[in-house]
Amino acid sequence: MNNLKLFKRQSINELSTFYSFLIGFVIAIFIGSIILLVQDKNPIDTFSLMLRLSVGSINSLSSSLNKAIPLILAGLGISIMNSVKLWNIGAEGQIFLGAIAVNYLYINTQFNSPTLHIFVLLIAGFAGGSLCILIPAITKVVFGVNEIITTLLTNYIVFGITIFLINGPWKDPKSLNFPAAAYVGEEVFLPTIFGKLSLGFLICILFTALAHYLKNKSVFGFEMRIAGGSALTAVYAGINARQKAFIAMLIGGGFAGLAGAIELLSQTHRVSTGISQGFGYTAIIVAAITGMRPLGIFLVGCLFGALSIGGSVIQTIGVSAYISDIIQASTLFGALIIQFFFTYQIKKVEND
Amino acid sequence: MIDIQLIGLFNATLQAATLLFIAALGELITEKSGILNLGVEGMISVGAVTGFMTAVNTENIFLAVLVGVLSSSAFASIHALVTVVLKQDQTVSGLILTILGLALSSLLGKNYVGKKLVTKLEGVTSVTDPSSILEVLISQNIIFYLAVLLMFITSFVLKHTMFGRRLEAVGEDSRSSDSMGLKVAKTQFIATCVGGAFAGLSGVYLTLSYVPYWTDNMTSGRGWIALALVIFGGWKPYRTALGALLFGFLEALVPRLQTYGFELSPYIVKITPYVITILVLVILTIYKGGKTGAPKNIGVPFFRENR
Repeated sequence: MNNLKLFKRQSINELSTFYSFLIGFVIAIFIGSIILLVQDKNPIDTFSLMLRLSVGSINSLSSSLNKAIPLILAGLGISIMNSVKLWNIGAEGQIFLGAIAVNYLYINTQFNSPTLHIFVLLIAGFAGGSLCILIPAITKVVFGVNEIITTLLTNYIVFGITIFLINGPWKDPKSLNFPAAAYVGEEVFLPTIFGKLSLGFLICILFTALAHYLKNKSVFGFEMRIAGGSALTAVYAGINARQKAFIAMLIGGGFAGLAGAIELLSQTHRVSTGISQGFGYTAIIVAAITGMRPLGIFLVGCLFGALSIGGSVIQTIGVSAYISDIIQASTLFGALIIQFFFTYQIKKVEND
Repeated sequence: MIDIQLIGLFNATLQAATLLFIAALGELITEKSGILNLGVEGMISVGAVTGFMTAVNTENIFLAVLVGVLSSSAFASIHALVTVVLKQDQTVSGLILTILGLALSSLLGKNYVGKKLVTKLEGVTSVTDPSSILEVLISQNIIFYLAVLLMFITSFVLKHTMFGRRLEAVGEDSRSSDSMGLKVAKTQFIATCVGGAFAGLSGVYLTLSYVPYWTDNMTSGRGWIALALVIFGGWKPYRTALGALLFGFLEALVPRLQTYGFELSPYIVKITPYVITILVLVILTIYKGGKTGAPKNIGVPFFRENR
């Protein structure tokens, strides 16, 4: 009698993550099409409209890339933390606290040079993100509390603080119906490079290279991998695993905080609930789908940024913006399914 | 005569606790088999919206509960497929289940925002305005009593039945379980779907009784608190129920604090349950010194090496 059995492949194709992503994306588009068909919308028309309105002109392309900035930065933060085998589900809160830190510093300090001012505010954003993950980091390395749940819970805490600030101490009296803090002055707006694309995108490229170097080329990256791998090996190698985990968490949070700073200084120009529209959660998909590779995060971040813009503009023809969320999540599920076939082999075996 | 406000607080505590407990109990069963499902938030949301839609369209409350439970269970089977059958990362799959569940339920519920229920889940007795502890206890709706029943049943099944012992064996040591002839994949698959069904029940409780209406992201982190409750309860049904009562009490207390004379911003008060959850997790981890009672194989995909 023949039986089907599972074998782990001896070698896994190096590009398997890439192929899985591509096929996953096709599966997701297929699922999206079915949802559109159910809603009596023509998928080809809808998707071509999405494509045109997200990358069809300089303006829309730059909007898409602006949208990619927080996804990429938060995704990079998640991937750095993953080097020590830790999960950062708190990027959403870190983005908000980054923006809050920027606004706090903006209100309370004066600078003569706008360039220096912007530079200091960006650093404040990074610090705000690090501050946001400080408690999960301390409870993780000192007591061993599961960081998945603590980082997630901080999202709700920081969001509550944001709502408190924009309805209370920071409330702009001129903003009547929509609670928000006062706008920051034009002197600290991030300059644009072309079209509407903000300087934040260059920062993003810089930080992608930095994360790639940090993870794959630096001594610290090597130590992080050992610290995250086996506790015993780390001890033999004389590596303080807790210290590496702590630093990796602060850096990871900082990346997302920087994203919040860029959103504030280039997009919203004030603290409101619109600082992040779920970027911290989408960033998890972006990071996971690329197998935590910084260069992949950059590319997929750009694609998902365009998808989000496409999703929000097709609302005008009565299609729910959630279609882009569903396509993003389905891409990852599709990719996971395909990844199985790259990792395992199903063979017919004769029973004896 | 007990203060009428205290009666209200007790009533609200029970209801908030029921919601958290059912979802937590489901996750407990899933985790006992060694599968971690971080998709609780998404599963509750799917159950909540499908139940609500059925209730609005058919006005049949029992059909609505059934649809909510089954669709959430079917939704959980995605996680089972990806992690049990295809052996992919449980953390990634669970997280995406949450994101997908929230997006999917927002998409489905788009035309149901602001709709009113003609029939909602009523209390089993005619008491509508309880004025004593006893009246509170007898005026709950059917899902509350079901939750209490499920607590006893789950505890009994885990300790005293073959299925429960198999579940525990698989979750503790899937390799040995496999060599003893237990069907690891089948057990884990079932446990994941049961967890989804429980989350769905919690979801329909939310939209058919607790709130009762539908709006985007209305689960507001309860799925994550349910996950924390499983750790809090040390993977034991009764202790998890105790934790649910504690968290339900906090959720019920928060909007009432001002009536007791505490001058606090309502926005700050809203975040206290999340702060307290973190505090409780820290205290618990210190107290137990690492021995949390977690199933040993949790999060580890099982793969039988073929030679």
